[in-house]
Amino acid sequence: MAPKKAASKTLNLAPVLDLNEASALHSKLTEMRGSNIVIDASAVERVGALCVQVLMAGAKSWEQDKHAFTISKVSDAFTKTTQLIGVNVDHLMAKEI
Amino acid sequence: MDMNEIKEIFFQECEEQLAELESGLLRLNDGDRDPETVNAVFRAVHSIKGGAGAFGLDDLVSFAHVFETTLDCVRSNKLEPTQEVLKVMLKSADVLADLTNCARDGGSVDEARSKQLIRELEALAHGTPLPGAAEAPAAKAAPAKPAAPAKPAAPAPVAAAPNDQGFVPVAFSFDDFGGDAAAETSAMPTFEISFKPNADLYRKGNEATLLLRDLSRLGEMSILCDMDSLPSLEALNPEDAYFSWKISLRTDKGEDAIRGVFEFAEWDCELEIAELAEGEQPVAVDGEAPMQAVPFDLSILDDEPAQALGVVEEEEQIAAATALETASNVLNLASAAAKAAEAKQAPASAANAASAQQAAAAGQTIRVDLDRVDRLINLVGELVINQAMLSQSVIENDTNGTSSINMGLEELQQLTREIQDSVMAIRAQPVKPVFQRMARTVREIADITGKSVRLITEGENTEVDKTVIDKLAEPLTHMIRNAVDHGLEMPEKRIALGKNPEGTVRLTAKHRSGRIIIELADDGAGINRERVRQKAIDNDLIAADANLSDEEIDNLIFHAGFSTAEKVSDLSGRGVGMDVVKRSIQALGGRINISSKPGQGSVFTMSLPLTLAVLDGMVVTVASQTLVVPLTAIVETLQPDAASIHSFGATQRLISIRNSFCPLVDVGRILNFRATQANPVEGVALLVESEGGGQRALMVDAIQGQRQVVIKSLEANYTHVPGIAAATILGDGRVALILDVDAVVAASRGQPLRLESALAAVG
Repeated sequence: MAPKKAASKTLNLAPVLDLNEASALHSKLTEMRGSNIVIDASAVERVGALCVQVLMAGAKSWEQDKHAFTISKVSDAFTKTTQLIGVNVDHLMAKEI
Repeated sequence: MDMNEIKEIFFQECEEQLAELESGLLRLNDGDRDPETVNAVFRAVHSIKGGAGAFGLDDLVSFAHVFETTLDCVRSNKLEPTQEVLKVMLKSADVLADLTNCARDGGSVDEARSKQLIRELEALAHGTPLPGAAEAPAAKAAPAKPAAPAKPAAPAPVAAAPNDQGFVPVAFSFDDFGGDAAAETSAMPTFEISFKPNADLYRKGNEATLLLRDLSRLGEMSILCDMDSLPSLEALNPEDAYFSWKISLRTDKGEDAIRGVFEFAEWDCELEIAELAEGEQPVAVDGEAPMQAVPFDLSILDDEPAQALGVVEEEEQIAAATALETASNVLNLASAAAKAAEAKQAPASAANAASAQQAAAAGQTIRVDLDRVDRLINLVGELVINQAMLSQSVIENDTNGTSSINMGLEELQQLTREIQDSVMAIRAQPVKPVFQRMARTVREIADITGKSVRLITEGENTEVDKTVIDKLAEPLTHMIRNAVDHGLEMPEKRIALGKNPEGTVRLTAKHRSGRIIIELADDGAGINRERVRQKAIDNDLIAADANLSDEEIDNLIFHAGFSTAEKVSDLSGRGVGMDVVKRSIQALGGRINISSKPGQGSVFTMSLPLTLAVLDGMVVTVASQTLVVPLTAIVETLQPDAASIHSFGATQRLISIRNSFCPLVDVGRILNFRATQANPVEGVALLVESEGGGQRALMVDAIQGQRQVVIKSLEANYTHVPGIAAATILGDGRVALILDVDAVVAASRGQPLRLESALAAVG
């Protein structure tokens, strides 16, 4: 991926990622384009399909930009929801050290 | 919230649904064959039926049911929406509206008419399809929905159970999945579900994850999320729907239970449910992406966030336990999903994308009690007055304008103005509902007169104050009747004249310089000036040798008691039409104009204020009193010189303006502000146009300026004062009276100012 040692930015996801949050999340992500990003989903209590859409679109765009898009920590709710709706985030997960 | 309130909300929604129904039918009538339009129409009737059922409105339910059944035939392409079919449907929509009104306000409906329509609708639904319908479905069905793999699952069969039964509780207990679950499930049928939400689903507050959660509780589920249509971040609309799902669900709850999960979202998604035959390969999906099995324990996804917070610890303990359980299920399904490796997915339909775009244009709304808005408007009015008073007192106290005070005041002024505009905008509503009502009027009159009429409306989304809208319907109905009854020729005559046998009535709304302009144009014969003139002479309205311009003749039709129709019809021609129209328009502070070309039709143009809460007025002084004259009434202002003032009789005076004489009215004298007439040369004359078209010159002492004033009702706060329409509060805190121009002019004709004299300027 990104060979240069660009400092990664971290995005802490809000606890409630419902329908209303999708636009906010979208603009947050859009602002962070251009460098590696680490998503911290450990505080997530609820996440809706729209926000997952935004995250996945983000992952796609980061991949096109050849920057790293990593999900560092996840909450149970986040994992279960993505599992429930059949969205596989395994390839985005930070590798255990 | 008691039952009546809920019922009231239902009726409000009914109104919206009826509007939607009618506009959808009209679009179909214009040749729109978008399946989404048919769906929208169907949905409207279905919602009305559902709500009516809940309130036990049986008449409404039974009619809606028949209507719905016929609409379903159109939706499923069994019935071609021809002009004849749509004519019946439009009439049915009218009857449905009547039934709704009747259920709300009491009264009765024309039963013979609704029975007749029920028969016609049933004939359409059950009878032989109209000619031409047979070959059409195949071509039309294609873009409607992607073909379902197993059986063509209609999203909501009218007669089928899930919709009509209301909410179907889905019983589910996790105990069902005990040790021998695996053995039991082998006998369970597997359903293949394709679920593609539209943007509307999210917009209406539904959440795909919750639907999927409920679905997963019905049985064993594995799922594949199709992200192919997901664009890159910059192209993504965060509120649009891109994901769609292929689900394989093994359950013994049946298809109805599955539909039950989607009950409230069914209209906002594409849903296909197919039961797989025993031994058939479940779900066909693209190769490299196998389905994910869904774990059972999804309690953390429950709606209550509080619970999710509270149970975190407990959750962790349970997690370990459930992990085992989950693992075994994952194994079960993984093997099933692995088989589902080949074959293809139905492509996303283009029609759906289009409808999603259309839906995206509509914003979010809330319903607010009108009283609350009015209270807010009232308060803002007070704020405006208060701000004006504050500015005034700063000037008077001559603080010598420390710049910070002045700047603060200016900002305050700016802010209050903005607040005022925004609050007024809350009351503003599109004229669409009124225009839609006109469509019905046109249909009915066309039916009675045997004319063929097409109503074209433009600018339906033009917004204007709700009060104006409410008062607009009546004059518009009058005018539309006149346009169809008198304006348009009979079809034979139109053909003879080389016109399209179908007459056109065009209703347009637009904003022009702070007012709303409503135009009603027909392509009929235009005003027959010879006949109007003759009639006016016969009725002693004008002298036989009067020299009138075309425009003046046209305006004669606004005179009271004027009707040119040779025979009085049921519809119009009672001679109370256009003068009533003119009076109601004037009562709204508006004007009406007419322009007509023989053989090409007439255009009526109405110009109305956007709001009745504020008024543009000219602030004048009369006998040291401050009065406000509505600006709309004033044609021009002038400074009379002695030479142009002529005495007439004992007390009357005339002023000569450009070679014509106009009666001079001393406002101070009429209102009894002073005992003797003022000297006209020392004052200012306001040339006003009053009810009936006559011009008068109102004498006032001086003009202070032009101002936007907040109208305060005198009746509500004090009592009606003859000659005064309302009051307002000026910047210095003093009350100024708003002149009722028509009453003053009438008084000048010798009629004393009476209590019952018309209240013109205030709505």
